[in-house]
Amino acid sequence: MAQSVERSFTVAGSIDEALAARQQGAAVLAGGTWMMRDPLRGVDLPEAVVTLHRIPALSEVEVDPDHTVIGAAVTHAVLGRALRGLAGFEALVGAAVGAANPGIRRVATVGGNLCTLDFAAADLAPALLVCEAMVEMETFDGPKLIGISDFLRDRPTLLADAILTKVHLRRDLIASAHIRLPLRMAGDYPVAIVSIAVDKDKRFRIAVGSVEAVARRWTALEKALADEPGGFAPNPERAAELAAENNDFHGRDGTEADGWYRRQVLPALVKRGVAALLKTEGQA
Amino acid sequence: MTVTFRLNGEDYRFRDDPMTPLVDILRQEHFLTGTKAVCREGFCGACTVHVDGEAVPSCLKPVGLLHGCEVTTIEGLSSGQEALHPLQAAFEAADAVQCGMCFPGMVMSLSAFMRDNPGACRAEIKSAMVGNICRCTGYERIVDTVVDCLDTHRQTTETAGSMNV
Repeated sequence: MAQSVERSFTVAGSIDEALAARQQGAAVLAGGTWMMRDPLRGVDLPEAVVTLHRIPALSEVEVDPDHTVIGAAVTHAVLGRALRGLAGFEALVGAAVGAANPGIRRVATVGGNLCTLDFAAADLAPALLVCEAMVEMETFDGPKLIGISDFLRDRPTLLADAILTKVHLRRDLIASAHIRLPLRMAGDYPVAIVSIAVDKDKRFRIAVGSVEAVARRWTALEKALADEPGGFAPNPERAAELAAENNDFHGRDGTEADGWYRRQVLPALVKRGVAALLKTEGQA
Repeated sequence: MTVTFRLNGEDYRFRDDPMTPLVDILRQEHFLTGTKAVCREGFCGACTVHVDGEAVPSCLKPVGLLHGCEVTTIEGLSSGQEALHPLQAAFEAADAVQCGMCFPGMVMSLSAFMRDNPGACRAEIKSAMVGNICRCTGYERIVDTVVDCLDTHRQTTETAGSMNV
């Protein structure tokens, strides 16, 4: 049953304690929903592990009028409940309450979702990209704040000597939506994910997950929308046309779907996303 | 490493690898085989137990994260010697169980859901059980039974409330 009784398992009570364990080579164990499946992939569990779940500040969601802070150990279920009904956070709530299945959502954390390097279908990544979230890390040289795009791109290097502790959000979105395409209703990873938002300056933000290895903003489409004569008046059909014209994604092949298919479905998901935005704005 | 937690109402001390999945301890040390180890990926729901009242997959729960927690398995919901949980009784009365492989997980997921969502509609019940896979495809009878069980609970509560008034 047990792999080794000698495994180092540190239940950190403070960030300093967690960082010290990390410095000794311990891997960060979040909810366990990815790491615990390592043996099925033929990968040994880490010999040294540090957990963050007993650090109170990392399990909280602070919602202020202008600023929201999400602890790394907050679960998807808690995040969804904390932000439900807050204008602008619809995409993030959709990601939190739509990922995986209810049992996983009660366990899987924000930090785990963002720090699992080989998990391309992380729902929170595109949702946080359209929020233009800032990621707070604790490093051996002190705290560090970095934009979510840069974090996702550089995380293999960043996480070598840091622990993600919090995610910071501004309240500058009017509305947002999170559209995912699983092959079944649940239990599989989405083929493609599109998060879309409109900010207070009527600027559209669009991010895509699961299509490429790492989620990213769809800047070509954002620019095309901004360049529409008179500015983009939300129109699902037109958004889909522009998405098809500006599809610069290179789909990854995977067990759920081929790369070409992930890429091909994006205009339809954008269309659904803009329709969802219109519905949300109409309710506001 | 030593991990101490409550298992079905009794203190339990574990001394071994803290990364051991909870499901393995339940089945191999305690012979609580109602909890099924099927996919071991958190997809099927057959290993669902309650940890501090929340329904979670025990295959993905390393025991090291359980220190100080309260764990309840299907055997802890009712030993069979006393009255069944209302949902178990409803499933039995409706003859909703087919092969039974998924059912401990179904009961653990849905009993927690019913406790937290007594006014749930059919769509919400379906959403709550998307992580519990049934190969016999008996979903509709299960959903019907949960709907009936919640209706009965509501009627009982309303009757008790009107009597109190």
